[in-house]
Amino acid sequence: MSAVAAPTARTATAPARRRAALRQTAVVAIAAVVLLVAAALSLTLGAVHVPLHDVIDALTGRAEDGPLREIVVSLRVPRMVEAIVVGAALGVAGVLLQGALGNPLASPDIVGVTGGASFGAILVLLAFPSAVALLPVGALVFGVLAGAIVLMIAWSGANAGATSRLILAGIAVAALFNAGTTSLMVAFSDRVQSAVLWMAGGLSSDGWSDMEVAWPYFVVGFLGAVVLARPLDRLALGDDVAESLGAHPKRIRLAAVIAATLLASAAAALVGLLSFLGLVIPHLVRLAGGTASHRFVMGASALVGAALLLVGDTLARVVLAPIELPVGPFMVVLGVPVFLWLLRGAH
Amino acid sequence: MLAVHDAVVKLGGVEILHGAHLAAAPGRLVAVVGPNGAGKSTLVRAAAGIQKLESGTVRWDGVDVAALRGRKLAKLRAFVPQRARVPDGVRVHEAVAIGRAPHLGPLSRPTRADHDAVERAMGRAGVLAFADRRLNTLSGGELQRVQVAVALAQEAPALLADEPTSALDLGATSTMARLLRGLADDGLTVVLVVHDLALAAAVADEVVVVSHGRTVAAGPPDTVLTESLLAEVWQVDASLAGGALHVDWLGRTPGRTPTKEPLA
Repeated sequence: MSAVAAPTARTATAPARRRAALRQTAVVAIAAVVLLVAAALSLTLGAVHVPLHDVIDALTGRAEDGPLREIVVSLRVPRMVEAIVVGAALGVAGVLLQGALGNPLASPDIVGVTGGASFGAILVLLAFPSAVALLPVGALVFGVLAGAIVLMIAWSGANAGATSRLILAGIAVAALFNAGTTSLMVAFSDRVQSAVLWMAGGLSSDGWSDMEVAWPYFVVGFLGAVVLARPLDRLALGDDVAESLGAHPKRIRLAAVIAATLLASAAAALVGLLSFLGLVIPHLVRLAGGTASHRFVMGASALVGAALLLVGDTLARVVLAPIELPVGPFMVVLGVPVFLWLLRGAH
Repeated sequence: MLAVHDAVVKLGGVEILHGAHLAAAPGRLVAVVGPNGAGKSTLVRAAAGIQKLESGTVRWDGVDVAALRGRKLAKLRAFVPQRARVPDGVRVHEAVAIGRAPHLGPLSRPTRADHDAVERAMGRAGVLAFADRRLNTLSGGELQRVQVAVALAQEAPALLADEPTSALDLGATSTMARLLRGLADDGLTVVLVVHDLALAAAVADEVVVVSHGRTVAAGPPDTVLTESLLAEVWQVDASLAGGALHVDWLGRTPGRTPTKEPLA
């Protein structure tokens, strides 16, 4: 009986599995192509047009020293890399938090990281404008600090590590830092102009200096995400099922929130507030890929996040060149209609 | 072979279990019954190693559960919670595949054998027909069978379930009862928390009666669930006869002791 039943059973879901794999491969392929095209455009387009063959010459070291080579190597390549890394980091941070908290609304805002990072940045911008080089450090330090406070509160007392505790602590800590930010803006209202631009979110063409501060945080965060993809799947059906499977839900949640805090803080240090991306990209990937498996959603969100931010940044530089639009609002205006359209067709 | 001895459990400073026992053997279906708040769920969670003990022991095949953390424990027993989370966007076959987690390394991909185990679990639990549907489109009965399929994909020799039928209608309850009874007949150790005493008497080889955090009786249903025990533990006039539970709901049946003196 079982010898007869087994092959029939096997064929029952194999076609569905193949279809799903095909669809997921298509999502990854499209995102990869968009990323490559956007990378080429981001290096060629801008206030100064650099033809593609000159870009290739500059990258391969065959170009002579000159302004074109300088523009590509010292300004546009770092900016492109920043967009890719930050886009990927925001996407992955969103996946980590939504998976760890079992909440589709989770984003770096919800664990206080965004509030902390913006306080740190505004503190440097407004209170110590002469030390503006420390801005990414301020954003990073206060972002991580806010995340650490939230984790300490959430992992103490009875019911330690519960999702509701974490979210409430996050909201409270975010409110605290936001109040600090507002107070700073009131106290230094004559300098608010510079803060507004940072809060809008956007990349800058200032070489590798920010990345030199932030890269270790990205590395640890991304490595954590790779290791956490399968454990997060075990959390998907709730803590009891995770425990049935021999997993430790609270440890997984703690590790995921730490990794997301590092990624989101480092991203905020480089581009300011773009946390909308972190909320939306995982949903976009799940809707397009037709699955919530973290092994797919994590990788694809990194790719889609990188592609979207690079496209957004390139468009923001080009549309009204030489004026640069702030990337944050620009991406929200472009992204929300697409997202709502996908949401309409979602199950 | 599962043996819970003298289990004491505190939750938030309150002692929920103070001396509960439970034993279950392969091929047997054990129903844990008792009034609301008696500690049935806590006892089964302790048996599954999900709830820590204040004192007492839980042993699986003679090994203390405290020494069996993680994937080792997951290969000995599967636990089906009362209400599992229903995440958006997850399809039935993906959810059941999550049950293979204890058999996968941190970075290894599922093998053919894992896919086959998932298929077998779905077939056994009767969920293949809707394997490609999303969890949030399923009925309560279908969802509960998916939960059992997740546990079966673990391929553990024991299955513990916390009230697997309490939210189901009559037909779905009967389907679930046949499934769980069949699993015991296949040789699994099955432990269920059950509210419905008639159902417990019909499907179980043994019942374990929990009252006020203690095991007050254990054994075959017809010898344990006597009128006097039902009166003592549930404070009702009731009896089990021919697979049916006869309850004197309002205390008015002639010949039974009324709970209150009737008005003259």
